[in-house]
Amino acid sequence: MGTRTSLIISVGMLSVLAAACGSSVPPPNDRLASAEAAARSAKELGADNNPKAQLELKLATEQIDQAKKLMADGDNKRADLVLQRANADAELAVMLAKESNAKAEADKAQENVKNIKAGK
Amino acid sequence: MRSSRFVAFSLALVSVFAVACGNTLPPKELVDARAAYQSAAKGPAGQQAPAELHVAKQALDQAERAFSDDADSPETKDYAYIATRKAELADATARALIAQKDKEAAGRDASNLTAEQLRTARNELNSTKHNLEKTQDQLAAEKLAREAAEKKAAQALADLQKIASVTKEARGMVITLSGSVLFASNESTLLPAAMLKLNEVADALTKGNPDSNITVEGHTDSQGQKQYNQDLSKKRADAVRDQLVSRGVAQDRIKAVGIGSDRPIASNNTAEGRANNRRVEIIVEPPKHN
Repeated sequence: MGTRTSLIISVGMLSVLAAACGSSVPPPNDRLASAEAAARSAKELGADNNPKAQLELKLATEQIDQAKKLMADGDNKRADLVLQRANADAELAVMLAKESNAKAEADKAQENVKNIKAGK
Repeated sequence: MRSSRFVAFSLALVSVFAVACGNTLPPKELVDARAAYQSAAKGPAGQQAPAELHVAKQALDQAERAFSDDADSPETKDYAYIATRKAELADATARALIAQKDKEAAGRDASNLTAEQLRTARNELNSTKHNLEKTQDQLAAEKLAREAAEKKAAQALADLQKIASVTKEARGMVITLSGSVLFASNESTLLPAAMLKLNEVADALTKGNPDSNITVEGHTDSQGQKQYNQDLSKKRADAVRDQLVSRGVAQDRIKAVGIGSDRPIASNNTAEGRANNRRVEIIVEPPKHN
């Protein structure tokens, strides 16, 4: 009788805690905004011109969509994690695009030096 | 008794599971994340992007913690996924920075080269300008000198024309002096007045034609013996030459020849013609270097 009562109490408390956890995670609006901003800037930097950057951008976009659905379903906790993934992908896409652009500019500048040396 | 045995069994089962969990192989995502971090750490990120590499390490640590806390937790895969991207981000950041530095270095090279070429071009231009100015100065000086020489020559010719007949012929400028002005009859000694006249001629020659070779020719009329005339004309030519030399005409460019009566310029049948034939011609050859 005593043990059963305490078991019931324990289970009840756990349920309450679980419920509290589920509802206490606020919607990860900031993470969503930053992931979307990063994805946008990757696109602007020409991520679609570089296969690896393009893939990362695609992954980011898909996960942003996935996170939005999870938020609509009230699973903010999972949405937050998915958005962390999306952010990592989008930031990587940004940097890959930047790298690609910087390399192109470096090539151009070096070509220019070569031309000057050749006296063109 | 029976329930306590069940509890013990349950505990044992849980322990087995726990041990099994501890031995669970890491998920592919975590293996990838470890490899990605190792690769980034070995690459240029250590030098170029240490902050990003540190973030990647923290992300990997988080994934490792999630794995060791609960080998089957889905979060392990998420954190490992993120850690892989962070490692790749560090690597890409480093490569982008290197490319940026390459570009800047090339830009500096280009502007240095351009400046150098500009400097070279400017130097060449200055040198050309300098040479041009020099050439122009030289040309101007030469022009002045030439004009002065021409003026001198013209003046000399004008001077000569006052005292003698001057003609331009193929053999050069011919100054003809009448024999009677220079010498007494049958004499080869210059008259005093002739000396003065020849001095003027010498002055004109040294002034106007300092480089020309000069021939002095003595001519007679056809009266008398030919040999006598020949000797007389030679002596007279010598006398004129000596006088010119004494007045400053360079000795090595003047010679005297006796022509005798061989080249009359007028008839020997009249007194006037004979008088014209008795003469001394001073031939000034055109200067060779012109």
